[in-house]
Amino acid sequence: MKQLISEFASDPDMMELVNYFLDELPDRVQRLQNAYEASDVTQLKTLAHQLKGSAGGYGFPTITESAAELERTVLGDEAANASLAEKLEDLLELCRSAMLTDQD
Amino acid sequence: MSEQRSSRAKVLVIEDSDFIHRLLKVRLRQEPLEIVSAHDGTSGMAMVHSANPDVILLDVQLPDISGFNVLAQLKADAELREIPVILISSNDDVETKVRGLDLGAIDFVPKPFNIAELKARLRSAIRIYSLIRLLAQRAQIDGLTGLWNRTFFDDRLTQEIATARRHKRPLSLIMCDIDHFKRINDEYGHPFGDQALQTIGTLLDDGRASDVACRYGGEEFAIILPDTDLNDAALVAERLRERFATMTWDGRDDLRITASFGVSQLNMTTSAANSIVLIQAADDALYDAKNAGRNRVCLHSESSQADTAHRAAG
Repeated sequence: MKQLISEFASDPDMMELVNYFLDELPDRVQRLQNAYEASDVTQLKTLAHQLKGSAGGYGFPTITESAAELERTVLGDEAANASLAEKLEDLLELCRSAMLTDQD
Repeated sequence: MSEQRSSRAKVLVIEDSDFIHRLLKVRLRQEPLEIVSAHDGTSGMAMVHSANPDVILLDVQLPDISGFNVLAQLKADAELREIPVILISSNDDVETKVRGLDLGAIDFVPKPFNIAELKARLRSAIRIYSLIRLLAQRAQIDGLTGLWNRTFFDDRLTQEIATARRHKRPLSLIMCDIDHFKRINDEYGHPFGDQALQTIGTLLDDGRASDVACRYGGEEFAIILPDTDLNDAALVAERLRERFATMTWDGRDDLRITASFGVSQLNMTTSAANSIVLIQAADDALYDAKNAGRNRVCLHSESSQADTAHRAAG
């Protein structure tokens, strides 16, 4: 799996923030999975929405884009369920790639 | 007299995501800003009241009530409606922006935000807010003397009367009128008359911090004295009278400018304890001072009975 590195990784002032975000990320990933398995659409929407609004600020614009995709799909009609699983998997994949960095 | 605010502007962030709170706290650390946080609309509203922020960053999507709802509450409150609100939302569709701005938000910043842009928008909102406050204050200040004007006096006296009644504390009023001011203007010219009004205004404002000095009209001034009974107010008036009477004026060694003073105290024993009655009482006493030869302090007689009653009552 390719590492996803924060755009701010080279900025020493931002390291504390990026690390904070990465520390929190496993919990977010877990909650996204739980929400999907429990078919908790409201929770899924909230989590996607929050990641969309924050990840870019921590230097992960691709996570923001992917979370926005997921949010759009959740907001869409139910026939898009297959697509929902895909979008979620895309987002989780990106999050895991980012989490790799932390484990260096 | 002007309200001093600390040089660090206070930003209230109403936002449910800790990611955003943390991001803002760290990224705005170098700015001259103090940041306070709320995680939902209800606690956010409570913090607006307690923290008195200079600008609010408000998330549209909150766990309890919507950001639009918070915004509408703020704009419906006369005390809070001027505080600038910048909406932050990861929905940057036109409908969200238009609705927010039409509800009275000063700005809209999409999430995730560029921090340099957010800082500039915060600075802009804070600048506008300080101008609004300055304008509001100017509208209540007398241009010549720098004292509070009549508009402010009327509002403030009504407030102080309500406070005095609620806490059962004394409240006094001094009305002061410069003696023979027309003669001073005629003899020395209006520029000198204006200068005399300014100097006297400065002296009137130089008293105890809690006293509120106002220019009531042409050469008439009023001082509201919270938590002060008639006798203590009379001492304040007497000190001022003496100071005016002994003051020398540049290049006019023979000139003395005196003033007459009328003092009244709020009468708590009647239901008619309103500003009109209190002003009338001080005016009556001022009239007595003028008739008795000017350059003196007269007390309103019924006020003094009220004062006795007040003291007897404990």
